[in-house]
Parts: sequence; structure tokens; C-alpha cells
Amino acid sequence: MGNKQTVFTHEQLEAYQDCTFFTRKEIMRLFYRYQDLAPQLVPLDYTSCPDVKVPYELIGSMPELKDNPFRQRIAQVFSEDGDGHMTLDNFLDMFSVMSEMAPRDLKAYYAFKIYDFNNDGYICAWDLEQTVTKLTRGELSAEEVSLVCEKVLDEADGDHDGRLSLEDFQNMILRAPDFLSTFHIRI
Amino acid sequence: MSAYYSNKGYEEDPDYPDYSGSRNRTWEHLKTQDYPDSPDAQNNSAYPRTRSNPYSADYRTSPDYPGSLAEPDYPGSRSNPGQSGTRSNPFAAGSRRSSDYPTSLAEPDYVGSWSKPYHPGSSSEPDYSESQQNSDFAGSRSSGNYAGFRTNPDYLDSLGEADYPGAQGNSNHSGFRAHSNHPGSRRNPEYAGSRINPYIDTLGEPDYPGAENQPISPNFFAEPDYPNAEDHQNSPTFWGNPDYPVAEDGHDYGSSETSEITREVLSRTSSIRPSFRHKGDGPLGIRGRENEDYPESIAMKTLEMANPYGNSVPGAPGDGYVNPAYVGESSPRPVYGNPPLSGCDWHKSPQGQKLIASLIPMTSRDRIKAIRSQPRTMEEKRNLKKMVDKEKSKQSRRMLELNCCAQCLNSISRVYRRSKTSLSELLNSVSLWQKTLKVIGGKFGTSVLSYFNFLKWILKFNIFSFIVTFSFIIIPQFTVAEKNTLQFTGLEFFTGAGYFGNTVMYYGFYTNSTIRHRNGGASYNMQLAYLFTIGACLIVCFFSLLFSMARYFRNNFINPHIYSRGIAKLIFCWDFTVTHETAVKLKQKNLSTEIRENLSEILQENVKLTLNQQLIRFSAHLAAWVVSTGVAVACCVAVYYLAENNSEFLKNHRDPGAVLLLPFLVSCINLAVPRLYSMFRLVERYEMPRHEVYTLLIRNIFLKISIIGILCYYWLNVVAQAGEECWETLIGQEIYRLLLMDFVFSLADSFLGEFLRRLIGMQFMTSLGLQEFDIARNVLELIYAQTLVWIGTFFCPLLPFIQMITLFIMFYVKNISLMMNFQPPSKAWRASQMMTFFIFLLFFPSFTGVLCTLAITIWRLKPSADCGPFRGLPFFIHSIYGWIDTLSKRPSYLWVVWIYRNLIGSVHFFFILTLIVEGKDKMFLIEKLTKLQDAEKRANTSSFTLERRDVEQPGPLHVGEHDAACDLRFRRSVQEETPKA
Repeated sequence: MGNKQTVFTHEQLEAYQDCTFFTRKEIMRLFYRYQDLAPQLVPLDYTSCPDVKVPYELIGSMPELKDNPFRQRIAQVFSEDGDGHMTLDNFLDMFSVMSEMAPRDLKAYYAFKIYDFNNDGYICAWDLEQTVTKLTRGELSAEEVSLVCEKVLDEADGDHDGRLSLEDFQNMILRAPDFLSTFHIRI
Repeated sequence: MSAYYSNKGYEEDPDYPDYSGSRNRTWEHLKTQDYPDSPDAQNNSAYPRTRSNPYSADYRTSPDYPGSLAEPDYPGSRSNPGQSGTRSNPFAAGSRRSSDYPTSLAEPDYVGSWSKPYHPGSSSEPDYSESQQNSDFAGSRSSGNYAGFRTNPDYLDSLGEADYPGAQGNSNHSGFRAHSNHPGSRRNPEYAGSRINPYIDTLGEPDYPGAENQPISPNFFAEPDYPNAEDHQNSPTFWGNPDYPVAEDGHDYGSSETSEITREVLSRTSSIRPSFRHKGDGPLGIRGRENEDYPESIAMKTLEMANPYGNSVPGAPGDGYVNPAYVGESSPRPVYGNPPLSGCDWHKSPQGQKLIASLIPMTSRDRIKAIRSQPRTMEEKRNLKKMVDKEKSKQSRRMLELNCCAQCLNSISRVYRRSKTSLSELLNSVSLWQKTLKVIGGKFGTSVLSYFNFLKWILKFNIFSFIVTFSFIIIPQFTVAEKNTLQFTGLEFFTGAGYFGNTVMYYGFYTNSTIRHRNGGASYNMQLAYLFTIGACLIVCFFSLLFSMARYFRNNFINPHIYSRGIAKLIFCWDFTVTHETAVKLKQKNLSTEIRENLSEILQENVKLTLNQQLIRFSAHLAAWVVSTGVAVACCVAVYYLAENNSEFLKNHRDPGAVLLLPFLVSCINLAVPRLYSMFRLVERYEMPRHEVYTLLIRNIFLKISIIGILCYYWLNVVAQAGEECWETLIGQEIYRLLLMDFVFSLADSFLGEFLRRLIGMQFMTSLGLQEFDIARNVLELIYAQTLVWIGTFFCPLLPFIQMITLFIMFYVKNISLMMNFQPPSKAWRASQMMTFFIFLLFFPSFTGVLCTLAITIWRLKPSADCGPFRGLPFFIHSIYGWIDTLSKRPSYLWVVWIYRNLIGSVHFFFILTLIVEGKDKMFLIEKLTKLQDAEKRANTSSFTLERRDVEQPGPLHVGEHDAACDLRFRRSVQEETPKA
């Protein structure tokens, strides 16, 4: 409001506002965060929509993601080519989904993608093993991990096909009230 | 409020008249065509209504989509002209929808397979037995219809549907076709996976037949084929059509019927919800409903109001009674069933077109919500928005020339929206402690963060109350303030008496006169201002409590039965807010321990206790309850006697510090007894830790509230009746001292107690380790203080301000103490569920108790004769009576009098209000129950698949039943193997 900013045109900002759960101020803040990641790479003028990507190494070193066990998956899921390199749009998308305002279904959809390590559209036993290993940093033995995976599938697999579909996942998330507040990255 | 919303949605939309028109035409069309033809009118009527007609009608009215494309193909290919005619229409509509859609797609196949399910009735069909066997899948055979149905721009939910696989030319196409050719394959229970299936296709996994794109259709459109189809005649009510033959069934939908559907549908596929949403969400659906007599939908809306996302879906109230859980979420689930087409020209594809078409009739607010909730990349969302805006402006130019009223409304809504965003931006810009909260969340996770959020929330209450009281009571009083002659010594900060007694802080200082500066200027009646301001504060608090409670319930109400012992939740609810390195490591370690515990618990499940053990356990519980209640009662008695004797004592000794004795005792009780209660855990054993937490909470809140209760009793019955001079001020001072003492104790506890505990834990008894932040106890302290503040606002209008300051300080103190002395919680703590409970506690014993106390004060007590704004009146409320009397003498204010007499003064009004509120409560509960049943059933989907069949298929269809079941199982196993192959 009345800010003298020349990074975006008015229309650009409006579009960002309509496409994310952020206010104008938050968008600007996120932009500066993004710009700070690679000051020499990201121009301070986005009015001409430059095609800039910040490499994953820099994205993953953000304090918000640095210690997150799933940082690589997050970056991959939100980046365009699945390689973790992010444009500003991807970056805003990511934080929009992780914001407080995003609805449960949207969050569940992306959480599902994050946990779906092999991108096959299902969370299978292998994906689960990956997840558990990441979560526990290898503190559990192999048998324990496979037992956990078995139990998880047992609990959440509604159609008994031995893997979790998005549907199963959403049902399960529905029973976990904390999901909404925990699948959230503050910026 | 809610009604306003829905109406607004309706009025603002310039498209509405058009659609309703098309709907009407639809009916005509339907009647002329279908009814006479169909031997089984029931089935057929349900069919076309829900599906085909709206679309065809709609499309025909739409000039954008030339309707010539596919229609001629249809009639010829049907074996049953009457029925197939109706069925095919929708498809035609769908195909006509966009010109780049290959019309040839699947129609011939469809037709053949469709007609089967409808034949059982006529029984002349040679395929009869087969159709029996496959009757379950009748609906899925009509999936083509369904897709067509969703192409209708009326449908919000058509947003992201990928139903027209062929249209994009992706792999779904062939699958889809194959699917419709082989009805049997639709038996496949794999429907559940259907919604992600599209992704698979894009991800390049060809194994899955695209047919599963239509999992949803069976739920709805297969229904009429069943003998007991009446159960599903709810559908007409969705459309609000009165001339539906079986409409009477639709009217009495209640939880039982809903659950019936739910069960039924569930058993077929687990992607039930999308289908329900489909129905309910269509803007057309809701408008239809709102025009008809559906009070339920309005009732439901209120609940939604509390939900930030709830308002965005225009149709939400409608599906509310089907599956309330999803009402709140603005993004229709099926959206996610969309294959995210790569490339940014996806919007040119049929789905994109569909999506755009569905977005156009929405209000701008809903549209933006819908766009935001699309799981697509920014580029796609932006293009989508551009397209929609373009279409919209095209349409509006065409239409709004006739309808300038709608245009006007539209622009008003735009202005309203814009001002609202800027307002929320402004509010966000003052968001307090953003960084601190982030650090706390990063180090301690969501659960501890919830305490601080609760604190912040209460602080907001107090800021609001302060602003209101300050501007409407305190400032006017300042303008007429007399000089304070009392000496200020400094001790007053603790006792609240003396000097402060003669300031704006207390009731007694306020004037009873009408303030009037300069002759002829506006006058200000202090009595009324005092009552109205306090009343307004409480009313606003009441509603914000109610709405937050509703919101929390909506989001977090989860049946503890389902909830217990989930290892999946441990895995998938990793706290993404935790960002601090050591915290992450600690959390990972804790998680491993918890998983291990959970595993061992599962492994050695159900260790049956012997009778003896059970008896011991039971008696331990009993003893603990008796002791805790006894302690609470003893504390109350002690407080009461001390209070009584103290006043005697104070009369004789004029030592100003002596007044601190009572608050000191109360604070000591509040400090010590909860710790005593916590020690009961040494004796009591609970199967679930959650039970322990809840028991502890209940005991603590009982203690705190009963102490406050006994104090209130003492104040209202002893202090107020004692005939002392200015008893209101005395009560105000008492409350001030209680609050202050509580604050001092909290400070001391944080700085000394917690610090000492850390020293002991770190230095002397390392086995103890660092302590964990006790969220429950801390939250209860906040609730206790807030209760006092609410009571005290009447006697001491400055109290919210004092509480504001103490909360502000407490935030920092707790923050520092947390960072220094505590470690992150080791257990996953159900923060959101607990928050729901806390807010409920704040509402139920606390706030309602305050209301009762104040009501007694205002209606039943005599104000002191020589001080305060109400001096000389027999009761506080008499100021209002007097005001009404004056007003009734002035004709221009008669409306106020009327409102007072008929609404506020009338018992009937309150009676009606109670009924409404109760009705809403019941609706809410029914919704929740339905949802729970739903969820439970979803858990047992597979077992129901077979069970349902027994219930559902009496009559001729029984023949193939067992074959079907076997068939089902067989196919499932086949299906399981195919992807692996």
C-alpha cells in the first residue's frame, strides 16, 4: 500500500496476491528472502519476468529448511523440473502451501507428494522406509523400520493394496488434527 | 450474518438468472422427454435430474459452445431409446463443450454398456443376467455422463476434474474406453486409488486403466438402479426440485439417511467425498437450495463462518450435512484428482476449460480462493486467473447491460474485498512477536507454541476491552475528573487501595451525572455508557469465543476412539515448524523412542488385567478423586473463612498491608495444590496418557473455578450486603490484588522455581534432566487470570489494561524461562486438540460463570448510595429502565423502545434464540456424528463391500450376488498384480 517498490508491477503483485495466501507485504518479504539467497543471481527488477532459478544448494541452506529432514523432497516437489532448483514462482508457491492459511486438502496433497519419494503417485513401503529413516536418523533397526511401515500401511491403507494412495493419505490426515499446524513453515 | 453471506453470493452473481433459467428449461426438457419413456420413472427421474439435463440445457444456452457437434450420434446407438436418450444428453453436452474435444471419444462404447444397468426393470433384455451381476457398476458405466456433468460451468467442483481423459490425449483415454467396454472391470475395488490415478498417468505409469478416473460416478449415478434407490433420493433435494416423484424421501434426510448413503457409497469406493462435494458444491445447487425452503443450509452457514476457509465454497452448506468435515475446506477435493498437465497451456485442455467455466459464475472472492487452492504452479494459476477474468469480462459485457443492478453489486463487492484485504494487511503489519514465535516454534515445536498463541489471543481480548472501556468510559470521565487529594505512597501498587481508590481505576470514582460541556452541546450519560460499554465488551468476547470454539471444533474434533494409537500419525505429522538444529535432532530422537514405545505397545497389546488389579486401579482412581475434591473443598472453605475474618480484622487494624493476606493465600493454593494433584500420578495408573492429562486438567480447573466461585459468593453476598461505603470499589480492589499476586507468583515461579529446578536437574540430580514445559498448567493459569479480569472489568474498568501489561510481561518472562530452563517435549502432544479443550474451558466454566456473576450483580444488587455512576438507584438495571421510559416519551426514538420491549425485554425472544442456537448445536453434532460414522466406515471399507451387498440387493438382483463377490475379489488380486508386473 503506497510502498515505493519497483520490483514488481502492480499487476504482478496483484496476481501473486491472488495466487498465494500472502499479503503484499509478505510477498515482498519473501522476495527479499529469495533475493538474499543469491544476490548476484536474482535481479531486483522482476517487471520483465526474468527466468532465474536459484539452485537447490542455496534453497536448502535457508534456515527454515536447513535442518528439515525433508528439505530435498520439498524443493523437488515444488520446483518445476523436480531438480530442486527454484524460480521465484516456485518459491512463493512453496511457502504459500506451507503457510498458515492454506487449506488442509492443499497441504495434504503436497505432503503426499513430499512423502512419495519415487514419484509414482503412491506411498509404497519403500517410500515409507525412506520417510522413517529420515525421521529417525537411522536410530531404528531395519526390522523396526519394516515393522513400522507394516503398521502404517495396516492403519492407513483403506483399500488394502499394500500402498497408500492420496485418498488413504487424506483420510489419515483427517484423523490427525495436528497436521494442519505442523505442516507449516513460518517465514 | 450467514444469511447475509449466502444471499450476497447469490445476488452478486450476475449469472444467476441465466442459470436458473436454464435449470427451469431443464425440467421441462426432462419432463417431456424422459418421464413418459421410462418404465421406471423413479430411476430415470433421478438420473436425468442430477446429471444430464442441467448440462444439456446449459450448454444449449451458451453461445460459446456450438451444440451441433455430437448430438446426432446419440439416438441411433441406443438400444433403449427412452432411457439412453436421457443418459446420452449429458455426454453430448460435455462434448459440445469445447470444440477441440474429440467427440468420437467413447460414445459408442458407452452406450452399449450403459443401457445394461437399466434393463433389469424391463427384463426382456438377453443381457439381463449379466447386468444383474454387474449392477453395482451401473453407475460407473455412466461415467461418461458424469464427466459431462462435471463439464458444466455451474459446477464449482468441476474445477480440476480430469474426467475427460481422452480429451487431452493422455493415456487415460484408452483406459477409459476399455473401461466402459468392460463393465466388469469397473467392479474393481481399486476405485480408491482413483484420485491419484491421473498423476500416475502423467508420471508415465501406463498400468492403471484410466477408467478409474470416474470413481465418483458410481456413487451417485448408479443409485437409481438399485431397488432401494430411495435411500439415495437425497439427490433431488440437492437440486431443490419439488416435483420429483420420490421427493418425500429426500426431505427427511437426517443422520441416519445420510449415513446410509455414506455407508453405501463408501462400500463401493473410498473416494466418496468428492462425489458428495460435487453435488453440494455446485453453485447452481446451492442457489437452488437457497431459494427453496432449506433452513438447514442456512444453519450450517453460521458454523462455517467461523472457519476461515468455510465461506469460500458457495455450495459448502449443502454438502455440510453429508460430510461436514470437508465443508470447511475451501478447495474441493476433486481438484486434486487432476493430472497436473505439464506445460502452461493446460488451460486450453478440456479440464482447463472446465475449470475456467466453473470459476466464472463464482463470486470474485470464491474464485480467488478456488484459484489459490489449486495444486498447480504459479504460472498456471496466473494463466487460469487471466483466462477467467477475460471470460468474465466478456460475459459481463454481454450480460450486464441488461443487469446494471448486478454490476453495481459486483463492483461494491470488489471494493469491499479490496478494502478488506488492505485492512487485513494493516492488521497483519502489527502482528506481534512474529520473530519470537518463530524461534519458539523452531526450538520447541507446535505444542509449546500453542501456549504462546493462546497467550497472544487472550492479550488481544484484553487490548480490545481496554480500547473500548478507555474510549467510552475512561476518557469521558477524565473530562469531568475532580482533583485527587489522596497521598500516593507506593504501597498502593500492591494493595490497589488508597490513592487509586480515587482515580478512574475503580467504579466508585465515576460520576452519575450526564456529562455536558458547554450549554447545548451533546450530552453523555455516564450510567448508560458504563453499562453498555461493559456489555459490549462481554458480547464481543462471547462471540469471538464462540466462533473460535466452532473453528477449532471443526478443524480438530476427532473421535478419540479413532484417534488413539496411530503410528501413521507419528510418521506423517512431522513438525515442519521446528527448524532449530538441536531441536530437530532431539525431536528425531524423541520420535524414535515414541515409535519404539508404540511398537512394543502394539506387539504386546491387550494385556488383560486381573480382577484384583482392576479393583486396585479403580480404588486408586476413586481415592484420588475423593482426595482432590476434598482438597478443593477445603481450600474453598479456608478462603471463605479467611475472607470473612479478614474483613473483621481489617476493621480493627488499619494496617494497609494486611489486605494482601487473602490474595496471598489464594495464590499459594494455586501454586501448591496443582503440584499436589500432579503427584497423584504416582498412585494412579492410566492406560492412556491422554486420560491422565484430561483428569489433571479437570481437577485443576475445578479447584480454580471453585475458588473464584466462593470469592464471588463472598463478594456478592457479604461485601455487597454489608452496607459498606462503595462496596464496588472494594471488590475491584480485591480483584486487583488477586491478579497482582497471581502475577507476582508467576514471575517468581518462572524466575526462581523453574530456574532452581534446572539447577537441580543439571547439577545435582542429573537423572532428572531438564524439565518439560507444562502447557496445561500454564494455560490454566491464563484462564484463571482472564476469568478474574472479566469479572473485575465491571468494578475496575482499568483491569483489562493491567492484564494487558501483565500478559505482555509474562510473554517475555515465559519466553526467557523457556529458552533457559526447558527442553522440547518428548511426546507428540496433541496441541490442536488440547487448544480446543482450553478454549472450551475458557468458555464454559469461566466465561459463563462471569456472565452469571455479572447478571446477578446488575439485576439483583443495590448499588452503593454515595459513589459510582449508579448511586441512588435500587438496582443497576434501573438505569436502563429509566432510559427506556425517557425514550418512550420521544416519538423519534420509539423504535429503540420497541426493540427493547419486543426483543430484549421479552422472554419469547430469548426462548426463540435458545431454540435456534440449540438447533444449530444439534445440527452441528449430527454433522459430526455423520462424519465420524463416515470415517469409521471408511476404515472398514472392504468389509462393507460385501456386507452392503447383502443389505442392498433384494429381489432379482440377488442372483449374481455371490458370483459378483468372488469376481470382485478375484479382480482385486489381479489388479494388485498388474502394476507390479
